[in-house]
Formats: sequence, C-alpha cells, structure tokens
Amino acid sequence: MLIMRHELLLIAITVILLLIEIFLPHDKKHKIILPAILLMALVTAAGFIPGPTGVLFGGMYGTSALILLMKNILNIGVLIVFIQSVSWLKLDDQKEKISEFFILLLSTLIGMDYMISSGDFLMFYLGLELATIPIATLAAFERYKEKSAEAGVKLIFMSALSSGILLYGLSMIYGTTGTVYFPEVAATFQSTPLQILAFIFFFAGMAFKISLVPFHLWAADVYEGAPINVTSYLSVISKGAAVFIFTIILYTVFAKIALMWRDVIYVIAILTMTMGNLFAMRQRNIKRFLAFSSIAQAGFILLGIIGQSQLGMTTVIYFVLIYIFSNLGAFGVATIISNKTGKESIDDYDGFYRTNPMLSLTMMLALFSLAGIPPIAGFFGKFFLFAAAAKQGLYILVLIAVLNTIVSLYYYLLIIKAMFLNRSDQPIGYFKSDGYTRLGLAICIAGILIIGFASPVYEFILKLSYGIY
Amino acid sequence: MFEGVPLTWFLILATIMFFVGIYGFLVRKNLITILMSLELILNSVNINFVAFNKLLYPEHLEGMFFTVFIIAVAAAEASVAIAIIINIYRRLVNIDVENMKEMKY
Amino acid sequence: MSAESLILFFIVGAFLVGIALLFSSYIPPTSTNPQKAETYECGIPTEGLSWLQFNVGYYLFAIIFLVFDVETVFIFPWAKVMKEAGMRGFVEIVIFFFILGIGLLYAWKKGALKWE
Repeated sequence: MLIMRHELLLIAITVILLLIEIFLPHDKKHKIILPAILLMALVTAAGFIPGPTGVLFGGMYGTSALILLMKNILNIGVLIVFIQSVSWLKLDDQKEKISEFFILLLSTLIGMDYMISSGDFLMFYLGLELATIPIATLAAFERYKEKSAEAGVKLIFMSALSSGILLYGLSMIYGTTGTVYFPEVAATFQSTPLQILAFIFFFAGMAFKISLVPFHLWAADVYEGAPINVTSYLSVISKGAAVFIFTIILYTVFAKIALMWRDVIYVIAILTMTMGNLFAMRQRNIKRFLAFSSIAQAGFILLGIIGQSQLGMTTVIYFVLIYIFSNLGAFGVATIISNKTGKESIDDYDGFYRTNPMLSLTMMLALFSLAGIPPIAGFFGKFFLFAAAAKQGLYILVLIAVLNTIVSLYYYLLIIKAMFLNRSDQPIGYFKSDGYTRLGLAICIAGILIIGFASPVYEFILKLSYGIY
Repeated sequence: MFEGVPLTWFLILATIMFFVGIYGFLVRKNLITILMSLELILNSVNINFVAFNKLLYPEHLEGMFFTVFIIAVAAAEASVAIAIIINIYRRLVNIDVENMKEMKY
Repeated sequence: MSAESLILFFIVGAFLVGIALLFSSYIPPTSTNPQKAETYECGIPTEGLSWLQFNVGYYLFAIIFLVFDVETVFIFPWAKVMKEAGMRGFVEIVIFFFILGIGLLYAWKKGALKWE
C-alpha cells in the first residue's frame, strides 16, 4: 500500500472532489477551488515524506527513489497549474465546470504517475491513455468557442492514432519476445528486423506524444485552441511525464539497440530544435509561440537522452524541473493577461512594462530562463544537457544546439523588447492580479532562482540516477 | 477449432486492417468515419495480440489481458471523441473535417 | 470441436433454415395488395425516406451505455474466479463498483439520463 502512496493519495482526493461536486448546490460551485488547491498542496507535501520503494503486482508496477522524485516534480507542476488557473475558472463561462477541471487534471496526473512507474507495457499503455484522454476533454473545455472544440477533436484523434501506432509496435514486440514485462523484453530482445520495425512503430507513437518534429503538426493547433491553462499543462507537465517514461524505456528496454536509436534521436533532435525555432519566430499569437518554443525545448531534451548514461538521466530530470518552473512562469503571465483583457497577440504586449512592471519582470525572468541566459536556472539546465551530449563525443550536435539557442534568444528577446522598449498607443491597461496568480508566479520565480543557484538539487538528482542505467 | 489456420494469416489480416484504418484516417472527411478508422487500427492490434498469445505463447495470458484493456480504453476514447464531436455538431451543424480550419499555419 | 463438425453444423443449419422458409412460402394462403408492399409504418402511408439521421441526443445515451457496457469486460473474469479470489477479490470488485457508481451518480446529477 505504502509503495503506491502517490497514486492512492491522488485517487483519494479525486474521489473526494467528485463527491463534493455531486453534492454541492448549483450556485456554489466556486467553493470547491480552495479545498481542491489545499488538498493538492497536502498531497504534494506528503509526496516528499520518505517511504518504502519496491515492486508490486508481480513487476507490473515499481518505484525507486528516482521515480518518486519524478512524481514529486509532476505534483509540484500540477499544483502550480491549479493555482494559476483560478483566475480563468472564475470567469463566467467556466463557473459551472470548476470541479470538473480539477478532477480531470488529477486523473491525468494519476495516469502519468502510473505510466512513470510502470514495469510492463500494459501498465505503461493504461497510464498513457489515462494521461491523454482527459486532456482532450480539457482542451475542448470552453464549449462556446469553436477553436476549443477543434483543439479537442484534433488532440483526441491524434493521440488515438499515435497510441494505435504505438500498440501495433508493442504487439510485434510481444509476438517476438513472448512477454510484456520490461526486464524480460530487454533480456530477450535480439534486434531482428521485425523487432526493429516494432521499435520504429513504438518510437513514432512516443514521438507523437512528445511532439517531436516529423510528428509535431498537431501540437501548435491544439495549443492555440485549448484554454491557456490547459495549454500550459499540456506543454509542460504532460510533455515532461512523457519524456521521463520515454527515457526510462529507451535506457532499460531498448538498451541493446542503443546504437541504433542514438542515430534516430540524433537526427530528430536536430530537426526538432531547428523547426521549432524557425516556426516560433514567425508566430504572433503568444500561445502558439510558446507551443513552438516548447517543441524546440523538447529537441534540447533529446540531447540529454542521447547522453545515454547516469549523466543523461540526471540532466533530463533537472532540465524538466527547471522547464516546469520557467514555462509555467511565462504561461502564468500570459494567462492573467488573457483572462483580464482577452488579448493573446504578441503585438498587444507593447509597452506592457509601463503599465504592469511586476508582471513584465516575471515574464522577463521566465523567458530568460527558457532562453538560457547565464545566471538563471535555464542556463544550467541547458548547459548540463549539452555536456551530457558532448561527453558522448557528439560535438556537431552540440554545436547545432548552441546555434539554435542563439536563434531562440532572438525571439525570446523580441517579446521582452515589446514589453520594455516598444511604445504603444493603447497598451494593456493596469490591472491588479488576484492572490492566487501572485502565489503561482511567486512559486515559479522562487523555483527558477533557487534551482539555478543551489547545486545540491543537481547533486541530489545525480545521486538518485544511479539505479536507472 | 482454428488449429489449421497458420499465424501468418492472422498477421496478414491484422496488417491489412491496420493500414485500411490508417488510410481511412487520412482520407475520410466525416469525423465519425475517422473514429471508425481508429477503431479498425485498435482492433487490428487486438487480433495481433490474441493470435500471438493463442498460437505462440499459450502458457501465459498477457496478450489476452492486453486485448481486454485495449477494448476498454478504446471505448473510453470513443466516448470522449463522440462527446466532442456532438459539441462540434451543435456549433457547426455538421461534422466535416473541412469545416475545422480555424487554425492553420 | 473439429473443423469437420463445424462445417457439418453449418450445412445442417443452413438446410434447416431452408426447409423452414420453403414450408412457410408454400403452405399458407397468399393474398397481395399494394398497401402491403409499402414499408410498414403504423398502417398509414409512409412519409419521407427511411435513411434518417439520428437525433444527436441519442449519442449521449450511446456514450453512457458504451462506457458502462464495456466495464463488464472486467467483471466477467472476476466472476469466473470468484471463489478462488476470495475476500480480497470481493473487496477489489466492490471498489470497482463504487467508482463506477460515482460515475453513474455524476451522470445522473448532471441530467445526462434525461431525454430532451
């Protein structure tokens, strides 16, 4: 029981919230916000209590200290998303569906937790589906907007197609090895042509989920159409969880054909970084812009995966941790602007510093962290990723990544320039952000600053990563 | 009962179904038909799993378990997709993908 | 059951159905009029085409039915090994039903079970 405590706690609070929702009178739905956030905070805090780790259900489910850390990271991210979404949930359109937002988000988190600690492909598949299906309903959450429904339908069809492709690969792996358990598959994997085909199917399915470049086309549309809080969740947390399990499976199950997937990831990393950056440059909608920038960031994460060692695993986790804080910071500011004024175009950000200096500074810090400007956390995250790739002797890849970082600097700075230097006849007026938004942004800023300057965090992850490789 | 049927036949059937599903997904314009194509893909996987389990590894039941769970998940997926499609129908009065062009590059 | 007996089963089945159809078409008295050839619709002349589109509201029920229907896939294996699974299995299935019940309660409360 204690081994599964993260999931059980989350299931418990999901059921509690669902019961509250059922018995709450029609006009008092907003009262669920505070209990939901408090319960989530409680669960997040409880996740840090050390407890037993081990294997359950005959190897279908397993945790280690490293996996617990990943779950804690995801918990923190979801907590921040909860806090940030309050200002959106309080709008009139959503006031009927507040508790559904929390419940659906929690169920995706449960799915991600199961996915990360899965020990066989069945558990992995169930977790994956539980983590994607509710997001489709969340993407279609704003029922009165055409764009939102369009995003939802695109997401559900694309995720269903990708899991179909992934499953086809898994069925071939099962056919050739006779088992679906990770250790046994790894032991009997012989890299016959059929198994390699199976791996390609599997890889394509996962690449859809992480939106790597040949399979990224759905991402921008979904990110633009979905409500902005769902977009931030999709681009940060669900992507982070998918990256975690992708890394684990590549390192453990497909360790024997590492030489092969290294080449694949090499090419895809270059494509993803470059395409993500080039498309991000020409976007004028802030959500779409952040979507493409998150595609580019996924390309950088691949550099850590290619590092293919204890160092690789560490850098991936470390980068995702920083990425959660910085991207949620940027999204937090975009959220509050979108909710207060309805403006989502980058051109509207002209002169934002004059009217709302604090929010501009937060946005600047988050964007600097995303771009990787030295004293801030994002720099260390990227630096370690590059170091992991360089250690494998992939200097050309690292060079291309550095060039891409410079390109990305250009478009991140464009927004900062718009906020601080550009003058505008009609800047976004001054508004006072509510307490929840401030709290969410404060957590993000604290995260960016603390993780950047405190090396113990990195050392801690490095120590835990021994077991995985 | 099916002792005489070799594994290859099942695999050929499943492969044909899989690619018919992919083709339908790419070509069809009606959202419900696209959903049906997705079901074809998932069911081809089911055939694969059951055939492998029955003919190659009858001592364990992992393939069967997988199939059962795929069926259940496919139902959940279909219900969510249909719910969203109904919503689109209410907004657009038809469910043709051609009409979903709000967002493009 | 071997393949031969299966084929035999099909042949016999087809034969029996054929016999039944043959008898029913020869034995009873027949009378025809144009009204009888029409598509049956409560005895009055038919209106419009029979290729109607379903009411969208129908799909709402279809969704709920679909989800709860497929859940039986998990109940059957439990029913098969109910005795061996014992108390532990029973508690697990009760939790399963509890969660399903909450789902049903939610659908009910939201008015999804009402035909509009």
